[in-house]
Amino acid sequence: MNLARDEASVDLERTLVEYLADRRMTRRALLSRIAAAGATVALAPILAACAAATPSGSPIRSATAAASAADGSPSMAASASPTPASSPEGELFIYNWADYLGDDVIPSFEKRYKVKVTQDFFDNYDTMRAKIGQNGGGYDIIFPSSVDVPAFVKRGLLQPLDQVLIPNKTNLGTEWQSPGYDTGNVYSMPYMWWTTGVAYDSAKVAEPLDSWDALWMDKYKGHIVVLDDVREAFAAALFRLGKSVNTTVDGDLDAAYRLLAQQKPLVRTYTTDDIGALSSGDAWICHAWGSDVHQVTDRPTVKFFIPREGGVRGSDTTTILASAAHPIAANLFINHLLDARVSAANTNKIGYMGPNAAAIPFIDPAILADPSVNPKRAVIDSLQELLDLGPDLDKYTTRWNRLRAGG
Amino acid sequence: MTELTEPPEVRAGLSTRAAGVVFLVPGLAWLAIFFVLPLGIILLVSLGHKDAFGGVLLDRLNLDNFSRALQPEFLPAFVNSLRYALLTTILALLLGYPVAYWISRYGGRRKTLLLILVMLPFWTSYLIRTYAWMIILRDNGVVNSILAAFGLTNQPIILLNTDFSVILGMTYGFMPFAILPLFVSIDRLDPNLVHASRDLYASGRAAFLHVTLPLTMPGITAAALLTFIPAIGDFVTPDLLGGAQTTTIAKIVQNLFLSSRDWPLGSALGFILMVVTVSLTLLALRTLRREVIG
Repeated sequence: MNLARDEASVDLERTLVEYLADRRMTRRALLSRIAAAGATVALAPILAACAAATPSGSPIRSATAAASAADGSPSMAASASPTPASSPEGELFIYNWADYLGDDVIPSFEKRYKVKVTQDFFDNYDTMRAKIGQNGGGYDIIFPSSVDVPAFVKRGLLQPLDQVLIPNKTNLGTEWQSPGYDTGNVYSMPYMWWTTGVAYDSAKVAEPLDSWDALWMDKYKGHIVVLDDVREAFAAALFRLGKSVNTTVDGDLDAAYRLLAQQKPLVRTYTTDDIGALSSGDAWICHAWGSDVHQVTDRPTVKFFIPREGGVRGSDTTTILASAAHPIAANLFINHLLDARVSAANTNKIGYMGPNAAAIPFIDPAILADPSVNPKRAVIDSLQELLDLGPDLDKYTTRWNRLRAGG
Repeated sequence: MTELTEPPEVRAGLSTRAAGVVFLVPGLAWLAIFFVLPLGIILLVSLGHKDAFGGVLLDRLNLDNFSRALQPEFLPAFVNSLRYALLTTILALLLGYPVAYWISRYGGRRKTLLLILVMLPFWTSYLIRTYAWMIILRDNGVVNSILAAFGLTNQPIILLNTDFSVILGMTYGFMPFAILPLFVSIDRLDPNLVHASRDLYASGRAAFLHVTLPLTMPGITAAALLTFIPAIGDFVTPDLLGGAQTTTIAKIVQNLFLSSRDWPLGSALGFILMVVTVSLTLLALRTLRREVIG
């Protein structure tokens, strides 16, 4: 079944390549047709050609077509409207974390679609936010954290995805078909997900740990490292208190603040470099992202667990900026990322699990077996996702800055 | 033809003044564009408030951010900033003065080479040099490895993420700014003045304290200012080499601008920090003038 699906998508892509890349002269015409009539109509000949080519793939395509027909033209029309008719589509600009794609992912896309891809990197999420906040910075695709997707949509920074160009979305696992932060994946496709829990060096910490209490243990004073991330730090305290990690109740947050203030004298440093803190031995107990711990290969005594009180599930998404000059290439690239083999290549390279159910047969068994990257079903079900809090985020940041300033 | 008959000194005077004004323009323009204007923007932003997405709104300007910035909760961070900057300045002077003195008096033909060596670290990015310090100071870093190899310690000493590492990093980073003005003032000092004091039976120590030191005071002040001012606003060193207990106000400002996206409060804190810095600078200059001129 997976194989058939794969063939079908390859065929659809091949037809698109012929349509888009070989007929460069008509690309502009295609764009204006999309703008005029919606993508479904514009791409009808392609879909027809595909249906004729591989009968086995047709259910998916017709499902896609039906879905786009059912949810009506609004998303189509909206995706078409910001498309600048004059944009050349031979290029694609991606703004991404460094080392966040498999090695062959971009070259294979470039070859298949005859598109030149330029990737720029940010090492700091806030830098990315600042840059795209000013008219998009000239990029087509960005990789925002799922927490930020609603706010980005509200600010008009993103354009709806062209679902017709992303048939590979059927590869998504069921829990990713319509995630809470973006119902129906209208603006974003999930890219990678991870967990937040606690890592410790079993060479330094003898007793078995299984609770968030580990980050509050007096006897490891000066050897505890906490993530320099307001939501993650508060989530750890809120889990201990048995409260929701998305609470906006002042009483809960005051209690969490008191816990964090109690923890601060024990903390060596707040950092996002959990890999560095663990592999250098600076941290004996470290608030950490599971997939980062997977990358700590030079210290095999480091263990990771999702505390029994629960852990955080985070995810990154792929989205297209409203100001994107190359929306078709961008949609095709997002589709490319959802291809089973491409998705597996990404996971194998960076050690993060993707949301791609079809990719699992192609993933390195060592990664699948590592509970810090790929926890058991029951653990996954205990995870809480951080949600966008809108203006209530201030309740967290005010307390966080007060804590960090030391007052 | 008439110009030729004008007295030459008048012409020279006029053109010098005209040239002076012309030469002043780039400097003044620089100050206006890169200092006064941004300062005005910071002040304006600090009077505004932020919207839900971290944008700055400038309707109904008020002083709320300043009353928030002056809450006691930010005081420890201000104290840390001042403490690190002062200690860094003192250490840079204590360590930099002998270096500058030695280069000036005993550098001989190699003076230029030695000065280039002082500046050589600038050829590498400060960030990279700070990362190098992290590698040196970590629990499994160079220092701890050496100590362990000689059997001097059986547990790593925590060096990174402490007051010590912050002050070390800042002193290392800002010392060249101290050495260069110190060198200039020591090098300009006429050695005959020291010789004269020795001829009048001053001990080496007395000659240094009563002749060399007072006469190089302008260099010391310049060195102190050039170290103190960047040190008090530095957030890279406290961020990378510091830890949970070493938060400086510059780090909080960075957090407010980038993570919390509260530019107005960040601007207010930044503005207060600047007022503190400028006041201390003026105070130092006034004290110096009184001491040197009398």
